[in-house]
Amino acid sequence: MLLPLIGLIIGMVMGSFFPLTIPVEYAKFMSVALLASLDSVFGGLRAGAEDKYDNTVFVTGFFTNALMAAGLVYVGERLGIDLYYVALLAFGLRIFQNLAIMRRYFLKK
Amino acid sequence: MLPIKQGQVAIALVCAVLGFMLAVQFRTTQDIKSSIPFQRIEDLSQRLSQTEKERDTLLKQMHELRQTPELESAVKEAQNIRMGAGVVDLEGKGLIITVDDSKRLSKAGDNPNLYLIHDEDILKVINELWAAGAEAISINEQRLIATSEIRCAGPTLSVNNTRYSPPYEIRAIGEPQTLENALKMRGGVIETLQFWGIQVSVKKQEIVQVPAYKGTFRFEYAKPVKDGGK
Repeated sequence: MLLPLIGLIIGMVMGSFFPLTIPVEYAKFMSVALLASLDSVFGGLRAGAEDKYDNTVFVTGFFTNALMAAGLVYVGERLGIDLYYVALLAFGLRIFQNLAIMRRYFLKK
Repeated sequence: MLPIKQGQVAIALVCAVLGFMLAVQFRTTQDIKSSIPFQRIEDLSQRLSQTEKERDTLLKQMHELRQTPELESAVKEAQNIRMGAGVVDLEGKGLIITVDDSKRLSKAGDNPNLYLIHDEDILKVINELWAAGAEAISINEQRLIATSEIRCAGPTLSVNNTRYSPPYEIRAIGEPQTLENALKMRGGVIETLQFWGIQVSVKKQEIVQVPAYKGTFRFEYAKPVKDGGK
């Protein structure tokens, strides 16, 4: 459990000092991508709690989820369909669901 | 805590990416939140120092005018009037603004006109520059004088009866920071133009050269009022 935490901290430190800011018009896509990756991480934690964890599924899911979410929102914006809120709702709901399931699992244990 | 044993390195990598995204997003949000009041403070302090400078120069000018004989002040005044009329080349600190049509494809159903530069857009920029204290402005080598027009002429822009097509280069002499702030104000001209994808670039420059007005002045109807001839 130590290695992932170290990775997280390294990423945060790098992100805070890296001279990269997202232009306001793209901030939307970034936030959706971030939410999607958060969702994957919580999904992975839940799978771990249920002993169904698969590494390849998790790693590929993390990247494809984020990219697909941002891409879909972008396409939606081009087509005039505001998928942004839909993505927020869907991913947000799943995160809370996963949290609830994990809580139950830990309570049972 | 969790019984995950496989691929710790891969998970660490994923976590690093996640942390990176989190931090960048956090900073972006922070930037958006903090930029408005910060800009305001900067703006106000700048205005204060500018006003103070102006006061000092005015005081100095007053002293000078009191001391110098009539002739010298008359020469100075003539020079000032010539500069104001736009018949001499000027140079000084200022901005060079380049405006070009949008490269973005228009969405179906949108009016493609929205993605082109119109006289109104240029006028808005010019107006903002004058309001921010620009002392001399030219568009593509045409000095703007009191009778200059800026008008759409088909796909081109007519300035001083000379036609230009994009990109347009606007040169303005004035305090560069003030001019830039006036243009880049939140909800200001540039933000509106960029919303439609119109390409605007603003460059601050130590020396900006603004050419003189090359036409002639013709007064067919206007005559000066004689002193006391009311």
